[in-house]
Amino acid sequence: MFVVISLLVGLAAIAYLLINSPVVTGVRIARTQPVAYSHALHVGELGLDCRYCHTPVEVSNTAGIPPTETCMGCHAEIAPDSLALAPVRNSYAQNKPIEWVRVHNLPDYVYFNHAIHVKQGVGCETCHGRIDQMPVVAKTESMQMSWCLDCHRNPENHIRPRDAVLTMGWTAPTDQAEMGSTLVAEYGIEKARLMDCSVCHR
Amino acid sequence: MIAPTPEPADAIVAPGHTYRSITEKISGIVLTRSTPKPWFAGMALAMGLLLLFLYTVAHLLTTGIGIWGNNQPVGWGFDITSMVWWIGIAHAGTLISAILLLFRQTWRTSINRFAEAMTLFAILCASMYPVLHVGRPWLAYWLFPVPNTLDLWPQFRSPLVWDAFAIGTYALVSLMFWFIGLVPDLAAMRDRAENKWARYFYGILAMGWRGEAGHWQRYETAYLLLAALATALVISVHSIVSFDFAVGVLPGWHSTVFPPYFVAGAIFSGFAMVLTLLIPLRKLYHIEDLVTAKHLDNMAKVMLATGLFVIYGYLTEAFIAWYSGNPVERFWLYNRTFGPYWWAFWALMLCNVLIPQALWFKGVRSRPILLFLVAIAVDIGMWIERYVIIVGGLHRDFLPSSWGTFSGTVWDWATILGTIGLFIFLILLFIRLLPMISMFEMRHLVAPNPDVAPTPLAAATPTGEQSPGAAPASNTLYGLMAEFDDPHTLVEVATTTYQAGYRKIDAYSPFPIEELPVALGLRASRLPFYALAGGMVGALAGLALQYYVSLVANPWNVGGRPLNSWPSFIIVVFEMTILFAAMTTAFGMLFSNRLPQPYHAVFNASRFRHASQDRFFLCIEARDPKFDAVQTKAFLAGLHPAQVMDVEK
Repeated sequence: MFVVISLLVGLAAIAYLLINSPVVTGVRIARTQPVAYSHALHVGELGLDCRYCHTPVEVSNTAGIPPTETCMGCHAEIAPDSLALAPVRNSYAQNKPIEWVRVHNLPDYVYFNHAIHVKQGVGCETCHGRIDQMPVVAKTESMQMSWCLDCHRNPENHIRPRDAVLTMGWTAPTDQAEMGSTLVAEYGIEKARLMDCSVCHR
Repeated sequence: MIAPTPEPADAIVAPGHTYRSITEKISGIVLTRSTPKPWFAGMALAMGLLLLFLYTVAHLLTTGIGIWGNNQPVGWGFDITSMVWWIGIAHAGTLISAILLLFRQTWRTSINRFAEAMTLFAILCASMYPVLHVGRPWLAYWLFPVPNTLDLWPQFRSPLVWDAFAIGTYALVSLMFWFIGLVPDLAAMRDRAENKWARYFYGILAMGWRGEAGHWQRYETAYLLLAALATALVISVHSIVSFDFAVGVLPGWHSTVFPPYFVAGAIFSGFAMVLTLLIPLRKLYHIEDLVTAKHLDNMAKVMLATGLFVIYGYLTEAFIAWYSGNPVERFWLYNRTFGPYWWAFWALMLCNVLIPQALWFKGVRSRPILLFLVAIAVDIGMWIERYVIIVGGLHRDFLPSSWGTFSGTVWDWATILGTIGLFIFLILLFIRLLPMISMFEMRHLVAPNPDVAPTPLAAATPTGEQSPGAAPASNTLYGLMAEFDDPHTLVEVATTTYQAGYRKIDAYSPFPIEELPVALGLRASRLPFYALAGGMVGALAGLALQYYVSLVANPWNVGGRPLNSWPSFIIVVFEMTILFAAMTTAFGMLFSNRLPQPYHAVFNASRFRHASQDRFFLCIEARDPKFDAVQTKAFLAGLHPAQVMDVEK
């Protein structure tokens, strides 16, 4: 009997560990991309704005993947002969988009809109982590439903002023709860409806 | 507990049976290479239907439940109808084994094992429907509060969640009750089996059961406790199933008569199903001497009584619909009788109201073939009853603009036939592999019979004459064992031995003997206190779980009702209480009996395999301070046993 009980407890523990492990969630697993593009270089060192490449993030449901033309805008002049940029030049010459490997992918039955989150004070960093320190991008959050609900239940614990949305390495003020509540009221976030099924499952 | 001889007129066992003949007859059905031909015919039918079921399920999974007739406004069709039907059938087993045990109805003994197995298989069939209805059966565990990455929990204010808990508890408790009941018989099968693999199979399942006086004492306590707990379940489970309907606001559903009316209907259909199966089986296996005319008569009477309850339910439904003065309720009554489904209603009246009245006549009750036909009518009638309630209630509700009709598709029918196939398959497997009648309980019902006690091995090992010189120094001696013919003698010699100052003694019998633990100076089992504690832990765990889920983990606004709506928590608390108490009882019994125990020295005694069948043994262990190989052997020989054996370690 003890064998059975310890077996069940052990199975439950393994299941718990497994379901939250990178094997399932993909957290911290860096995906090799067709181009060795480094966010750490472009954002962290050079200080590029997120929206320079992810242009529709404030107005569209998707943040958008930049077309090759965006890359070439600079790289026609900067390091035009770099070996690392060969795939970009090929893509441009052949008029074929680069096939970037998707890192963050929500299931089809989830409706997620970038614009509303950016507008209501959810920082890029809140979901994507310190992009400015990532040579190769990896997920930093599990993107499990429970993780979404953490914020949907209590948005005041997570949102920031609109002008800090793009900031990397933002530190929450000591009066986050108070400021958050003010922002929830100011931005007109309807907390009562944030937990409705149809907010995300439409 | 040594049974009196029953009067021949309502004999529940035909005269002439002994411990040995009962054991041989019942275990002989299983421990033989020859299987009756009709069994194969039944199995072929069952497997054909099972294939149909597998095909249907495969089609359902690849296509979706749109293959069923369910649609607006009839969102529940054949699936829920059949689920409730199967759950109802499942009620006879526990009623027979638990409630009739508490009422000391000894006639239950020859049918309880079979009815309990039927219960388990019917629950399995029933659970197919909600599991398939969720569309993605691999996610059916979402019905239970499993911690998950979605951060979602069951809604404890919903009757469907109560239902999942009620049926889950019922299945688990029935399984424990059935298996605990089987253990002593599995030991008998182990000891009788001649095939090596059969011995392993039954041996592992029997967990080392050896019929010790202390074992039996705790066993009887546990069995009675489980019966009491299961009794509460018989009443509650179908009440809770009826809440699936009664808590809704639909005309024809929203009624307080539903719980008692459903429970009576469940027992009605359960007994009908037991009769449907037992009448052919007792003929096939020639067990008319164990499942006698008296059994059929009694079951027919229970059916008649519960049938009258059901009729009362129909009358109350109609009366309340009229008396309420509510035009929608009155329309429902009219629509049920003369609307598009008039045929179902009148078929119901025929099968459940008219035909069962034949059971008033002794001529019907005493003729198995007539009884069988009545039982079939009730089986069908009870399915139609749920059809009338579900489809009749859903197809026309408050808004005429949303009225519609329903009819089952070919896949609906295939699913029902398929679960019937699954049911027959499991029943046939059960009667081929396990003793379908409880042997150890049947031994209670026959008088101890000295005329069948020739001891074949007595000549080989002459009583008390095993070279006294060889015994003393042996370190490998576990003890000395004496064999007796009947329970009275065993109690007497146990008393004598205890009074002679021996303490490390044990008695082994093929059925519980009430006086034996007293004779051996054993104290009463403390299992009831543990069961009470287990029940209280269950209740608190149930309450804590629901409080945590409804207020902390997943506070969900349902129509502005308070989050801590404790009245709706009562049902899950109740189910958890029963479940925990039953688990404490069952596992506590095994634990305090040190089972499973793969090896024990007493099994080395040459004749010990009869301890699980028809003989009675007393063992004095070598570690007893008073033990002396020569004197103790002489002492045992002085008790006039059939023989005395050395037991090696």
